[in-house]
Amino acid sequence: MISLESSIIRFKDVFKKYYPENVVFSGIDLEIEKGEFVFLTGPSGIGKSTMLRILFCAEHPTSGEIWVDGVALSSLSSAQVPYLRRKIGVIFQDFKLLSNRTIFDNVALSLEVIGLGKKQAEQRVMQVLEGVGLKGKMNQYPLRLSGGEQQRVAIARAVVNRPSIILADEPTGNLDLQRTEEVMMLMEELNARGATIIFATHDERLFENTHRRVLRFLNGKIRT
Amino acid sequence: MSLAILCRRAFFDLRQNFFGQLITTMVVSLSILIFAFFTLLYFNLQDFVDRFGTELGLTIFLTKEVPKDQIPYLYQKLTDLPEVEKVTYISSEEAFRRLEHFLKEEKDVLEGVDPEFLPPSFEVQINRAVFQLDRIKQLAGEIDKWPGVSKVQFGQEWIDRLHVFSGLVRTIVAIIGILLMFTAAFVVTNTIKLNVYARKEELEIMRLVGATNMFIQGPFLVEAFLQGLLGSSLALGIVFAGYSFLQGFETKFELLRGMNICFIPWHYTVAIIASSVLLCVTGTALVMRRFLRL
Ligand SMILES: Nc1ncnc2c1ncn2[C@@H]1O[C@H](COP(=O)(O)OP(=O)(O)OP(=O)(O)O)[C@@H](O)[C@H]1O
Ligand SMILES: [Mg+2]
Repeated sequence: MISLESSIIRFKDVFKKYYPENVVFSGIDLEIEKGEFVFLTGPSGIGKSTMLRILFCAEHPTSGEIWVDGVALSSLSSAQVPYLRRKIGVIFQDFKLLSNRTIFDNVALSLEVIGLGKKQAEQRVMQVLEGVGLKGKMNQYPLRLSGGEQQRVAIARAVVNRPSIILADEPTGNLDLQRTEEVMMLMEELNARGATIIFATHDERLFENTHRRVLRFLNGKIRT
Repeated sequence: MSLAILCRRAFFDLRQNFFGQLITTMVVSLSILIFAFFTLLYFNLQDFVDRFGTELGLTIFLTKEVPKDQIPYLYQKLTDLPEVEKVTYISSEEAFRRLEHFLKEEKDVLEGVDPEFLPPSFEVQINRAVFQLDRIKQLAGEIDKWPGVSKVQFGQEWIDRLHVFSGLVRTIVAIIGILLMFTAAFVVTNTIKLNVYARKEELEIMRLVGATNMFIQGPFLVEAFLQGLLGSSLALGIVFAGYSFLQGFETKFELLRGMNICFIPWHYTVAIIASSVLLCVTGTALVMRRFLRL
């Protein structure tokens, strides 16, 4: 049994309904512990991305309450939302890179918004880009990169400010086997350093042989 | 966020979106230019009518009985008045000659008429620098009481009509000006909207990675401030150049000399620049608000 204190994410009776009759969640209760690494799975269109979007306040539940790091999301004003987001690194399914900025600047954006000094930021960006194998392309623009490379830039941007929670939405969707391996290892490493990770994927192979908790969507509810 | 970082980001943006920024500045400039032109017209109409009275001057008719030796004395008395620029004496004969000249072929009707039947008069030109309609009215009343003066005439009726007419024209110009102001505001906010829409993805992404609204808006507002300032200054600069050009003409050509073009009063120019800046900044802030809710 997970105690309330150690759970960093908690869903209580969450419903999400899109207009007019698309019920995505019909009563989700869920607790995720600090430092946990969970997989979120289910067929396409079941609501994986929606769940992550609710967690970083890009979407609001129709009813129910969610707590992130002890804060009830319904109580956050729109001015407080940015501060929540700084604790959460999101790897977007569609990357969301700025096409008019270089790879370096895209990754640096996460640090720029929290006002980190230029020198320090530069060092961290380089380090992270090296980790995803894109140091050589840091002065390129996103559209010049392959899908897999863009995905790795998205990963780099999500982790560069060392968030305590990482929401990964199909982060290996465009990667070959070797790159997938590398990303999984990077995630493991971040998790080992204390980050809580929610990893959304429909690729069963990624969690086949792990001891990790797997959250499966079924009829708007979650089965562990 | 420090000012230095804000400026660095604003200038980075300016370089990145140079063309868009330039277009917006041009739109601001053109809109203000048209508006400023009408403002200039408005103030000149007002000024022109005020000064027009000087062109008409005063005509002082003397009684026919006035002794000839009295005339230089009256002449001197008129010339000594501070409001008076120039005095011309028109004798009865001169007046008769003018009448003949005016009638041309019809001058036969004057046949047998005593050339002395017209009263002698003074034509008085009013000093432009001193001219004030009320003062001239008062002066006319005073001169009317002088011995030897039968009647003082000045273009009172004309001036009154001109005032009514110019009042009408000025109202029309003012209405057009106000309509243009709304048009300018509309065009400028729409241009701003296009610019912000073009960068909406950028705004959303910044918001998603945890940027505060102030952080996102900062550079945009700096840019809007510059657009408003540069655009309106440029427009007023062009109007001023046009004004100086016309003024050059004025001193060169006799015909235009009376025009005495004036520029928009300085506090109005300040108001135009300030409104332009305000328009750009609030317009940008309002348009951006929509994308900063996510
Ligand atoms: N903004 C929206 N408006 C209306 N319906 C939406 C919206 N976003 C998502 N949906 C619906 O919610 C459901 C869940 O979508 P979601 O993107 O969460 O699926 P997913 O599990 O991430 O799928 P995939 O594996 O393909 O990414 C879908 O049926 C989708 O049509
Ligand atoms: Mg999805």
